[in-house]
Amino acid sequence: MKNKTNSCPNQSEKLKLISMLANKAIASIKNGSLKKRNLVWLELTGCSGNIISLLDGVNPGFRNLATQMVNIIYDNSLMVADGEAAMEKLFSIADDDYILLVEGAVATKDDGLYNVIGQLNGQPVTAYRAINELGPKASYVIAMGACACDGGVTAAKPNPSHAVSIQSVLNRKVIKLPGCPCHPDWLMGTLSYILLYGQPELDSKDRPTMFYSTLIHDICPRRPFFDQGIFAEKLGDKTCMFKIGCRGPVTPVDCPIRKWNQHVNWPIGDDSPCIGCAQFGFPDRMEPFISYNTTREE
Amino acid sequence: MSEQQLYNKDFEHIISEINNTIDSLYLTKNCYDKNKLLNNLRRQIANITMLMQNNRINTDSMIDPKNPTASKVFTPAELATYTGKDGNLAYVAVNGVVYDMTNVAAWGGATHFGLTPGKDLTGVFASCHDGQPILSTLPVVGVMAP
Ligand code: HEM
Ligand code: SF4
Repeated sequence: MKNKTNSCPNQSEKLKLISMLANKAIASIKNGSLKKRNLVWLELTGCSGNIISLLDGVNPGFRNLATQMVNIIYDNSLMVADGEAAMEKLFSIADDDYILLVEGAVATKDDGLYNVIGQLNGQPVTAYRAINELGPKASYVIAMGACACDGGVTAAKPNPSHAVSIQSVLNRKVIKLPGCPCHPDWLMGTLSYILLYGQPELDSKDRPTMFYSTLIHDICPRRPFFDQGIFAEKLGDKTCMFKIGCRGPVTPVDCPIRKWNQHVNWPIGDDSPCIGCAQFGFPDRMEPFISYNTTREE
Repeated sequence: MSEQQLYNKDFEHIISEINNTIDSLYLTKNCYDKNKLLNNLRRQIANITMLMQNNRINTDSMIDPKNPTASKVFTPAELATYTGKDGNLAYVAVNGVVYDMTNVAAWGGATHFGLTPGKDLTGVFASCHDGQPILSTLPVVGVMAP
């Protein structure tokens, strides 16, 4: 089944596209026809899952990004500066040109006091303030991961910090890369495209159609089982997981061909249903992630 | 196979015939062939019209083939037994029509964006899918009691 998926040229070309875009951007920067842009990686209220995910990416990976494609001005997890110096560096970019990458939702309760990301001039800087000050001035804002795109896990019931998506506090175009976490390729592809050509084609929910245009169910290697009505009864079964609650039919993203952890495997490939992490509404509206004793088979 | 499924199959068959005819129309330069193909198109459209009329009559006498004891007119209490759990089928009512969601892909595990079957979901359907051509693709099993 694996080979079948990979041998379709439409699908294998999609895999190659990311390195093609990144290599083109890197070459153009090397020969001086393209300028390195400044990049601010802002982590708000989340779990650092997106930066960890990016560090797992290859060809292109984080090393290409940091050394050959952009100047990383600020990233709370990876930068050398700390404390007040880091905050000064963050806010000093405001008058320059920069691309803003945001992971995590915005905690809004009590003026955002539920998430303080640093101190500036002795005052606490909330995530809420940071996004409000840096969001409007950025040349592009990219929301990475479920929390930044739609509140995600941070905004799940009962949502004690009143967390909301980036779009809810910014009145401007926000490119959305939902997923829990965001796949390194989705980010690197989008960023390379922006460096080279500007904003990529987006769907009605501002997701790049490059990655978010086909339902998992439509390119799932288990689709023949669905069409024949052969369904898994429990985790570990090798057939279609529709009856135990697979969310592949409502999740438009390219996991079946791209796979995870350096293109090795993905949930359905390891016999567990898709939980719809790249669809708006995750996690509350995708629950239950697994259901037993559902409808009976024909 | 239920009547609805048979109907869908015939329907798909005619639609693919129509698409083939249209493809051929693009290719042919000969005006006689063209007329023949246009004639085919007329006939195929007539077939669809006939099928649609038949289907309308069928819906009136429709009985759920998987569960022949169920009536085609549902009370809210009856509908509430089609929960999609413990082997029960998954029925949902929208605008007075009852749909069988049991094998609808978007309702995996008989749930969909936090919604569960056995209910009238007219309001949520309107707020989530207004203007989308979804209902016409779903299998109908009956109507709600007035
Ligand atoms: C809370 C309200 C609802 C939400 C948020 C919702 C959301 C969605 C979304 C986002 C998709 C499309 C997935 C994609 O293609 O990207 C979808 C598909 C679908 N929904 Fe819903 N939905 C809701 C209510 C309903 C109800 C009440 C019904 C049934 C009566 C329904 C039936 C369907 C069906 C059949 C599809 C598949 C459509 C297709 O094949 O193109 N939905 N829904
Ligand atoms: S496993 Fe999920 S995505 Fe794959 S065919 Fe079945 S329902 Fe569709």
